[in-house]
Amino acid sequence: MSDIPQGLVSFDVGKAAVTMNVDADVYPLQALYGAAFIFIDRCYVFIDKPAQGQFRVTLGARGTVEDEEALRRLVGEFANELLTCAWRHQITQDNRMLIEAVTMQAIGGAAGSPSLDDLANFDFSDDAFEDPLGIAQSWEEKHGKKAGAGEDAT
Amino acid sequence: MSLAQLSPKVGFPAFFRFREVAGKVVVTNFEGNYLILEKDEFARYVEGRVTPDEPLHARLDAANFLRDTYRITEAAEAVRRRKHFLSYGPILHLMVVTLRCNETCVYCHASRANMDQVDTDMSKETAEKVVDMILDCTNPFVTIEFQGGEPLVNFEVVKHTIEYALRKNETVGKRLEFTMVSNLSLMDEDKLDYLMKHRVQLCTSIDGPEKLHNSQRKLATMDAYQKSAFWMKRINEKYVEAGLDPTLYHVEALLTTTKATLPLYKEIVDTYVSLGCKTIFLRPIDPFGFAERVRLRVEYPRSAYLEFYRNALDYILELNRQGVEILERFAAIFLTKILQGEDPNFLDVRNPAGAGIGQLGYGYDGAVFTCDEGRMLHAMGDDTLRLGHVATHTYRDIVTHETVRAMTLASNLDGQPDCVNCAYQPYCGTIPAHNHKAQGSIFGRMRDNNVCMVHKGIQDYLFEKLADADAQTLKIFERWTTLRPREHFVHDGGDA
Repeated sequence: MSDIPQGLVSFDVGKAAVTMNVDADVYPLQALYGAAFIFIDRCYVFIDKPAQGQFRVTLGARGTVEDEEALRRLVGEFANELLTCAWRHQITQDNRMLIEAVTMQAIGGAAGSPSLDDLANFDFSDDAFEDPLGIAQSWEEKHGKKAGAGEDAT
Repeated sequence: MSLAQLSPKVGFPAFFRFREVAGKVVVTNFEGNYLILEKDEFARYVEGRVTPDEPLHARLDAANFLRDTYRITEAAEAVRRRKHFLSYGPILHLMVVTLRCNETCVYCHASRANMDQVDTDMSKETAEKVVDMILDCTNPFVTIEFQGGEPLVNFEVVKHTIEYALRKNETVGKRLEFTMVSNLSLMDEDKLDYLMKHRVQLCTSIDGPEKLHNSQRKLATMDAYQKSAFWMKRINEKYVEAGLDPTLYHVEALLTTTKATLPLYKEIVDTYVSLGCKTIFLRPIDPFGFAERVRLRVEYPRSAYLEFYRNALDYILELNRQGVEILERFAAIFLTKILQGEDPNFLDVRNPAGAGIGQLGYGYDGAVFTCDEGRMLHAMGDDTLRLGHVATHTYRDIVTHETVRAMTLASNLDGQPDCVNCAYQPYCGTIPAHNHKAQGSIFGRMRDNNVCMVHKGIQDYLFEKLADADAQTLKIFERWTTLRPREHFVHDGGDA
């Protein structure tokens, strides 16, 4: 791999580890998570934030590492994956409506309408949604005569 | 003034993507129309300098490449036609009726089991549950493909599945098709009679000439090629005896391209022609199953594959010019999209891919996977693409599974770096299962992705030929994109 700008990466061949500093203004955290996750079958991955505007990623190889060149290859691969994830993060935001429309059509087309059995088995146990304006209340609940003290509400 | 009120000047380009091919420029638009421009034409197009009085303006306008005359309704209709498959669920249902196989292929993607491992056979009860799920599918046309292992090893369950499905479909009323991928070595006249009677389409594997085939696909008797060739001929005779048009009804075969295949492109094409095949599918090897273990022996750089592909296609075109009818499947898939504006619904070259929404795979034990590759990964100890089980999940549980959603999103090329700007985006597709295996995520990285390289390379070749505009070649391409449905194999509800 060609030269990496100074100060961004430090290698520790003895510990089979490499530490990279990532500019948080250049790469969103979601992209960093996405790229780091790809490496967890080969490395132990640690992410922290040593300073404002900076992430630090440490990749510790699970196996032995022969030399610094092997660690450099790891850095190169990580950098390419990080760029891919960052760009994907951007274009999925740019094309969000198109992607959502296609996905909804695909899943909706595959699933079809729910059957009565599906509806019977539907999980309605979620807590009621917030309704500060009382839109979901019945007219009687909202405007009906309030029961006075000691009166039966029915 | 809002942006919508701005009137672009005459000749201003609408949205387009471009790629340089053989000294010319291929431009494609959102809905998938294409033009091949000379470099100076392209420069004038990009700079908005094309005037209405020149022929180029008419070409650009006819293909909907100009902003001021852009026909939105026409574009929307074209996109809808290309993505017709989104309205229905899986068309292809792969049933692994056993993992047992009597052949040992060096690259076996399915991770076959030995013949004594009867515990890898699907039971009749499981087969019925699989059929129940398949017939719950929203697609009015479904194909049940018997796979293995070697499906003829568990023929009783194949028969039971066919009969149960036909019986049940009398009330469901789908258009139903059965296909079987078999090495044919366990075929006999009784089995063939049954398969003919029940109109099961048969497909086999041929790796090339006898020597190559037998070295890669090993039978104990070392005659895998002879057996396949014998039964291909016999089945083709049966089709003729049944009064079927032999140009449409004949056994097709699948090729798996290994390192040893590459120099033998002529011999391989000749072998297919001699066996009566009208189609050859030059598929590269996949990183699944045993292929991963023996990759040093069977794998190759994709640049070498593309050289092989070009040589083979040149030869195939030459044969066609001499009157031999042989079609290359990859080329036909892409050309149908490029020339006809339609999608032939090949599930691995689709946007989004077919995993879960276009196909489902059913393991011998009733486990359900997003696709064929999902069950291959399962056999390698990776359950990422397992969606559930026919005994415990409904069809709806399966297709609304979060993994299906993830696969659909991951294979949407409008969210994929590189693809989003690629001129071939309207015709292309990525394979999330392949990305997962080769690059660690279902999204993959297209710049160093083998499938992307192959797809781009093939389309480069095809656009070079389209740019050459040789009349004979164009005529051959047109024939390759003419779909002739094999209605004989389709069972309508009530056929049983």
